Amino acid sequence: MNEGHILEVKNLTVHYETVDGIVEAVNDVSFAVNHGETFGLVGETGAGKTTTALSVMGLLPVPPSHVIGGEIYLDGENVLEMQKEQLRSIRGGKVSMIFQDPMTALNPVIRVGEQIKEVILLHNKVSKAEAEMMAMDMLETVGIPKSRYKDYPFEFSGGMKQRVVIAIALACHPELLIADEPTTALDVTIQAQVLDLMRNLKKTFNTAMIIITHDFGIIADICEKCAVMYAGEIVEIGTVQHIFDHPLHPYTVGLFNSIPKLSEDVERLIPIPGLVADPTDLPPYCSFHDRCSRACSQCESGNPPLKEIEPGHFVRCFFAEAEA
Amino acid sequence: MAYIEINRLKKYFNVSGGTLHAVDDISLSIESGETLGVVGESGCGKSTLGKTILRLTEPTSGEVLVDGKNICAIPYKKFKEMRTEMQMIYQDPFSSLDPRKTVMQLISEPLKIHKLYKNKVEMQQYVESLMQIVGIDFRFAHAYPHEMDGGRRQRVGIARALALNPKFIVCDEPVSALDVSIQAQVLNLLQDLQQERHLTYMFITHDMSVVKHISTNICVMYLGKVVELSPSKDLFQNTIHPYSKALLSAIPEPSLHNRRERRLISGEITSPIDPKECCRFAPRCPYASEECFTSSPALTEISNKHFVACHKAKEFI
Repeated sequence: MNEGHILEVKNLTVHYETVDGIVEAVNDVSFAVNHGETFGLVGETGAGKTTTALSVMGLLPVPPSHVIGGEIYLDGENVLEMQKEQLRSIRGGKVSMIFQDPMTALNPVIRVGEQIKEVILLHNKVSKAEAEMMAMDMLETVGIPKSRYKDYPFEFSGGMKQRVVIAIALACHPELLIADEPTTALDVTIQAQVLDLMRNLKKTFNTAMIIITHDFGIIADICEKCAVMYAGEIVEIGTVQHIFDHPLHPYTVGLFNSIPKLSEDVERLIPIPGLVADPTDLPPYCSFHDRCSRACSQCESGNPPLKEIEPGHFVRCFFAEAEA
Repeated sequence: MAYIEINRLKKYFNVSGGTLHAVDDISLSIESGETLGVVGESGCGKSTLGKTILRLTEPTSGEVLVDGKNICAIPYKKFKEMRTEMQMIYQDPFSSLDPRKTVMQLISEPLKIHKLYKNKVEMQQYVESLMQIVGIDFRFAHAYPHEMDGGRRQRVGIARALALNPKFIVCDEPVSALDVSIQAQVLNLLQDLQQERHLTYMFITHDMSVVKHISTNICVMYLGKVVELSPSKDLFQNTIHPYSKALLSAIPEPSLHNRRERRLISGEITSPIDPKECCRFAPRCPYASEECFTSSPALTEISNKHFVACHKAKEFI
């Protein structure tokens, strides 16, 4: 365990048992997040991003999910071995999470101020009056006037609701904040405001963040490191400079080619052919194989290891070195 | 003459708080074979505009001319025949397909309604050819929507729209619900179909990079009004309206280089219910002056085919 890490995930494997068979949602995922660092997890639907995040929070529903193997160290302690009580004390305290949809994340029948106060009272030994003061300060920190403390969630717009959710998540100054698609449900101008707010709060509180998104734009905007997930695996991981300026995995390259960009004119997009691999029936070899333009017989010989190509830049592809 | 021409189109809804101005006095035209991109944030009226043009909802006032004919004045029964020319592709391939119908039934439904086939064999062949065109494997002919992924479902939606051989298609956020790798496949398919069949599109989206990629002309909407209308290239090179500028700069670009300067606009969209006679963007506009709060700016031509509705447009050129 490295001193600088707030979170270290080692060889995490999570499966879901469903009527259609066993869904291999997360397969042998390892990564680490340093104190105060912003880490991006990017990938398409079903890549295993949210499952990874929920495992860190100890929020995976069991059944249907089962952690098959791996360790998750949060500040040196293995989350997977914690008892319910202990998990409850770290959630909202040391680590908290922002969910995608602010419309459903808040309790509709409790005033927003009370919802912030609730988490403060749970984790701090303060009086109710003190907690209320702290909750009001938190509202102001996220850009909502104190006077709206007693409003209900329905009285807020989507962007404002997401600010309330952020206030709840940051109320106890967590060391790690996991944001699962925090701006997907918002309009772009509001998204820009929320991203700006998150960037500023990160500076103020020196919180480490994991941003889960499918949008490379958000990664470029806010993250320092980033991992690209495909079919439950990390296929490429490195600093944002590595991923954006020197992507090596054919899937990462394919994703960049398929996004229309404002700064370039392309007549025709280059899509990635085919569909995401079926998570109930993953091949014993490279799962990107049948969509990959570089695939050859070697790719069917076994799953390529995540190899360090340059310092800090890991790629799961047999051809990564040749490509580099 | 333009293929689609709308004049002073208005669509108001009576809601509990007053009258909601969803589409407020919009005039524009689309040439045959071109794509008009309509962008704006949620609630700006872009979907209502699309539906009103197709007469899926009756306009409050104004006219929609298709090939020179005012479709709003045609009796409804007769208008049904014209429907074959104008179709729509919906945003959400999860809720726009009947979950109890198979792909075959879904794609043949418009053919049945318009009685466009002689016998079952002919219909089946036609559906097969449509499936081939949109790229769905024939083994899915008897599959139900829930058995398919989002990309395939959206292809079924496209096949349904194409079934009647339309000339004009309103695409309402057709790729927003899809993953990026699938999004590119569907965008390419739409572009190919346009070229092969000389289709005219109205492409509604909130995604500036998608709209830039696919459109000939772009119209930026804010609270029921068109604020900027221009050929695609020109809009991105000489963005004039402060809202269009803000919209553009708010998009996080997937690159670490040539990052654009951010112009955050404060506040949120105001209510479209009984709006005052003023520039609707004024409360959020960093350049707003008194004039902007007292009179509504008209959409005026600033340079060749580039229209802007802003009192201060001349200062921004």
